Amino acid sequence: MDTIFTQLGWLVPLFPLAAFLILTAMGRGNRTLAAWIGTLASLGSFALSVLIWTERLGSDALDYSDGFRWLSAGPLQLTLGFEITNLTSLMLLVVTAVSVLVNLYSAGYMKDDERATVFFGYVALFAFSMLGLVLADNLLGLYVFWELVGVCSFLLVGFWYTKPSARAAAKKAFIVTRIGDAGLLLGIILLYWQMPSHTLDFASIQNVFQGQGGAIEAGMTTLIALLIFVGAAGKSGQFPLHVWLPDAMEGPTPISALIHAATMVAAGVFLIARTFDIFEASQAAMDTVAYIGGFTAIFAATIAVAQQDMKRILAYSTVSQLGYMMMALGLGSLTGGIFHLVTHAFFKALLFLGAGSVIHAVHTQDIRQMGGIWRRMRVTSVTFGIGALALSGIPPFSGFWSKDAILHTAFQEKPLLFALGLAAAFLTAFYMSRLFFSVFTGKARGNLGHVKESPWTMTLPLAVLTVPAVLSGLIETPWNNTLGHWLSGGTETTHTGGGLVMVASAAVGVLGIYIGWLAYAKGTINRETITARVPGLVRLLGEGYYVDRLYNAVFVQGVRGIGRVFAIIDDHIVGGAVRLVGGAALLLGRGGTRLHNGQVQTYGLITLFGLLVLLVSIAGRGWW
Amino acid sequence: MLEELPILSLITFSPLLGLLVLLFLPKQRSRWLKITAIAATFIPLALSLWLYADYSSRSPEDAAAYGESVTWVDVALNKETVGDVASYSFKLAYQMDIDGVSLPLMLLTTIVAAMAALASVHIKKRWKAFYFWFLLLEVGMLGVFMARDLFLFFIFFELTLVPMFFLIGIWGFFGREKAASRFLIYNGLGSAIMLVAFLLLTVTAGFHQVETGSGEGVRLEYSGSYEVLQESFSNPDSYINQGAPESGGDTAMTTAQNPFYLSEAMRWTIFLLLLIAFGIKLPIAPFHTWMLRVHAEAPPSIVMIHSGVLLKMGAYGLMRFGLFLFPAQAGEAAVAIAVLGAVNVLYGAILAMVQKDLKLVLAYSSISHMGIVLLGLASLNEIGLEGAVVQMVSHGLISALLFLIVGSLQERTDTTELAQLGGLARSMPFMSGVLLAAGMASLGLPGLSGFIGEFLSLLGLFDTQPVIVAVAVLGVVLAAVYVLRAVLAITYGPMPEKFAALRDARLVEAVPMIVLLAMIVLVGIYPSILTDPMAHGFDALIHMLPGGEAS
Amino acid sequence: MLASYLTLAAILFCVGLYGVLAKRNTVVVLLSIELMLNAANVNLVAFSKYGVVPSLSGHMFALFSIAVGAAEAAVGIAILIMLYRARGTVNVDDYDELRG
Repeated sequence: MDTIFTQLGWLVPLFPLAAFLILTAMGRGNRTLAAWIGTLASLGSFALSVLIWTERLGSDALDYSDGFRWLSAGPLQLTLGFEITNLTSLMLLVVTAVSVLVNLYSAGYMKDDERATVFFGYVALFAFSMLGLVLADNLLGLYVFWELVGVCSFLLVGFWYTKPSARAAAKKAFIVTRIGDAGLLLGIILLYWQMPSHTLDFASIQNVFQGQGGAIEAGMTTLIALLIFVGAAGKSGQFPLHVWLPDAMEGPTPISALIHAATMVAAGVFLIARTFDIFEASQAAMDTVAYIGGFTAIFAATIAVAQQDMKRILAYSTVSQLGYMMMALGLGSLTGGIFHLVTHAFFKALLFLGAGSVIHAVHTQDIRQMGGIWRRMRVTSVTFGIGALALSGIPPFSGFWSKDAILHTAFQEKPLLFALGLAAAFLTAFYMSRLFFSVFTGKARGNLGHVKESPWTMTLPLAVLTVPAVLSGLIETPWNNTLGHWLSGGTETTHTGGGLVMVASAAVGVLGIYIGWLAYAKGTINRETITARVPGLVRLLGEGYYVDRLYNAVFVQGVRGIGRVFAIIDDHIVGGAVRLVGGAALLLGRGGTRLHNGQVQTYGLITLFGLLVLLVSIAGRGWW
Repeated sequence: MLEELPILSLITFSPLLGLLVLLFLPKQRSRWLKITAIAATFIPLALSLWLYADYSSRSPEDAAAYGESVTWVDVALNKETVGDVASYSFKLAYQMDIDGVSLPLMLLTTIVAAMAALASVHIKKRWKAFYFWFLLLEVGMLGVFMARDLFLFFIFFELTLVPMFFLIGIWGFFGREKAASRFLIYNGLGSAIMLVAFLLLTVTAGFHQVETGSGEGVRLEYSGSYEVLQESFSNPDSYINQGAPESGGDTAMTTAQNPFYLSEAMRWTIFLLLLIAFGIKLPIAPFHTWMLRVHAEAPPSIVMIHSGVLLKMGAYGLMRFGLFLFPAQAGEAAVAIAVLGAVNVLYGAILAMVQKDLKLVLAYSSISHMGIVLLGLASLNEIGLEGAVVQMVSHGLISALLFLIVGSLQERTDTTELAQLGGLARSMPFMSGVLLAAGMASLGLPGLSGFIGEFLSLLGLFDTQPVIVAVAVLGVVLAAVYVLRAVLAITYGPMPEKFAALRDARLVEAVPMIVLLAMIVLVGIYPSILTDPMAHGFDALIHMLPGGEAS
Repeated sequence: MLASYLTLAAILFCVGLYGVLAKRNTVVVLLSIELMLNAANVNLVAFSKYGVVPSLSGHMFALFSIAVGAAEAAVGIAILIMLYRARGTVNVDDYDELRG
């Protein structure tokens, strides 16, 4: 097959880079033009990605990589290059597709913001970095872009920079992910020295770890894998580094859709998929990933149930779904993880953009002040509903198939995780129905007189996104393992049969929605009496198990306290020692001055004394 | 045509040209004085850029051709001659050369000096004297990186102290006199220790036999030449290496017969003296208190030079005289140096987190970043050492940029207290953007220069000291904390009313900002531009280190 | 014989030394210096007469020393008068210009 577009893969991230440079040069210039530049650049990337993807549809396409010498220091020779595999081409497609739609959506959403040009510049920079991350052919290159997407996320979370809460959220997002990144960096350094050839490119990593001929000892492999997982956990909001993601909702909503739902947060999953051979070589690391993923899935789902902020519900839901993906990877199902990543990217982007549309209209994020929006925003309501059904795992929407793939693997491998996953699926359906019914049905609880449907630039992306949200699940069903074959080169054959799991998964989804409907739409279940009976639990969940407060008390205050102690040491002990030396010299001088009183007679007396000492010592020498 | 000229001396002394013109200008004509001085800093900049390009294009063997050597002091010593020894003499030479370590630092010096000259337009009084000292300072800094004779090095080193003393003491802020005297006393102490070490080196390793024509007898000479020292230390047949007690009966002489043998204890003494002397300059905690005051009290354009270049002289000296002359001692002390480095990294970072003044945050962050240089040095392999040099250059550029912004900021707001600033991104979007970018570079964001230095240093050290690296990586996280805390406190958040009318950067401020930022980005996205020429010099040096033959 | 002269000279010198170091009046200090000077003169003459090699040079030297002493006293008193005019006191405690 001809691979002309594949060879041009390096061009994909350059479209948004060019857009970023142009937009930066424009300063705060023409906002409409800026929106068009951003959208067109991402459209260019998308078109090229589609072409690359079509070239790779045949499962026999070879991986292609190319690059230039980037950093050399003695024995260290690193290239900066790109590599196109089936996995990366799929990721390119997802990232660019969501990116186009979010750019278009933002044209409407950010129309009235005076810094819209800056906004599109940041989004373009993000798209560049994210595509670079996907394409990177070695781990260090990936790390470079990994950090860059982190910065873009930071910039966009803090986009409304005059708000102290946005400033705090941006700072938190950066620092918490930075903790993970430090682990990843250490993992990369460790891997570099452990690799027999001292290289970091993915092809060599694959060779070394697949052929596990004892090239790297088992303990080391586990350590490397765990360090990489620390990085992935930071980026993908896995427990215990999940705390930044809900706060990151301070950013503009299109950003929450693009970065904090569809693409960047999935980078952790992508990283593990990219270095999957290292993980597969260590069962301990795989188990860690699986259990942390499973725990995060249920943990975040329970928190989502008790949130009142529309975006925070979706944020916790994202954390939970990312946990699902991690769990899939940890269970050895690369296909399951990536499949869920893809479907989730579409339906969660749809949900966030829908939420943005609602927030744009009602100017609040509190679901207690919404209700009855259905009558005023038909397109948003329908598309949001489709997204919610997909997330809840109702057949035949996409989320059902990907979740089913994961649950099926769990059922075969680790029944405990299957139970957790099933519980999380139930909670997911429940909180989504709670969200949907509270916002769109019932009576308006706030002043919603001014609410009207969003402009076409915002509703069109919603409509477009419903297509993959419904259909993208069909690429991998129990009867059709296209994706699995394609990704793994035909070796992986999971997701066969398993009617029991499918029934169970669909049943808990329907049950969750039904209970939600009873409680929030029909009112059969009186939720006040239930919440009144367990006020502690509600508060516990509402506060996210107090993890934030705990971190604040232990780490933030702890580090600050250490800093204060060090400041005292620096000032009094280190500085004090310096002052002591200086003071001693001064004191000696003062003593000398005291003797120097200007009285010639004193001088004479001292001289006489000195003479006597001299004489006595000379004379006395005889006795010693 | 340029090949015939003594290009290194030209670069070093070219600021004097401007200084000469300056002396003939009347002292009230501030505009002309400024233009002259700024122009004078661009001459060495242009020359060093040319040199950098020329050096990079040459083959490693060819690159040695820049060296200059002129006999400077040659005193015949009135010592008894024995046997066929014809004469003793003491020789100092004016010897200049560059290699992969000097070259990037020299270029850094000329860039930072030119940018600092531009930033000095904020100076409000006595321009003539200011630029006089400024240009003299530049001569000293350039000389330090190129001198290849111990005493020439020492003279240039001292030549930086005096101008700095006046620049801090006259043009500084409120506590300037105290800061200046503390600077001078501390560094004078360091210089004294360095002088002792240099004298010891001259009379031991510097003692060598000079090639003479046949029939003239043997000429013995005390020399301060770096080449001679290097030869003495690395050649197993040199005077100081013969007759080591443990070397058995293989060599002809034993310790008793060879009075020139440099004992292990003496080598350690010299090494430790050098470590302390340059450690004060670097600065290694706990010798850092002097530089805090300098950062806080000196005029910002001078801090650009101080933090950007002068601190590097310590690391450079430690590398050139400590590591490359005493590889065995450095090898044994590597763990200690690495620990000192990690302490610097964490100590600086933790203290930077609780400072209330932006300048002090940056001062402590300098300590933290110089700790990374120490880590790179402690690795004793090519990756780590190149990382250390990259980190020096990178930190030079970044801190120059940061203090450039501090200068412009302070001129507008009259304060650098974090609590009093805020929301400046609204009134000064350009400067806030540059500040954010500089902060990102400082915290080691890939794509900017700080990351390359950090990564290479840590990567190099990990081979021998993985645990220390793991601890030092915590500094990476803490760097994010203190940088974001300071930068966001200034640029983000609500803006006090009084700052609403502040002007964004003027052209004369924007140009150096853009230049420095461009350099930072360039090194970050294409580090080979820095590491390739560096490799030339390292190949010659690296084989002397323990286990260095491998590469 | 020599011993008694030397003893006399030693006593004279010690009295003079005590005066120089302890007296507060500058005139007395000056007088005490003269005493020490004369103690030395006594020694010179004594050694010249009863020493190992008696000769006249000791006497000559004593006379020379007395002449120099007179000149020195004249200069000293002149300085003292100037000091008194400037400071209005002859108390040595007040002459502390050398204080560091």
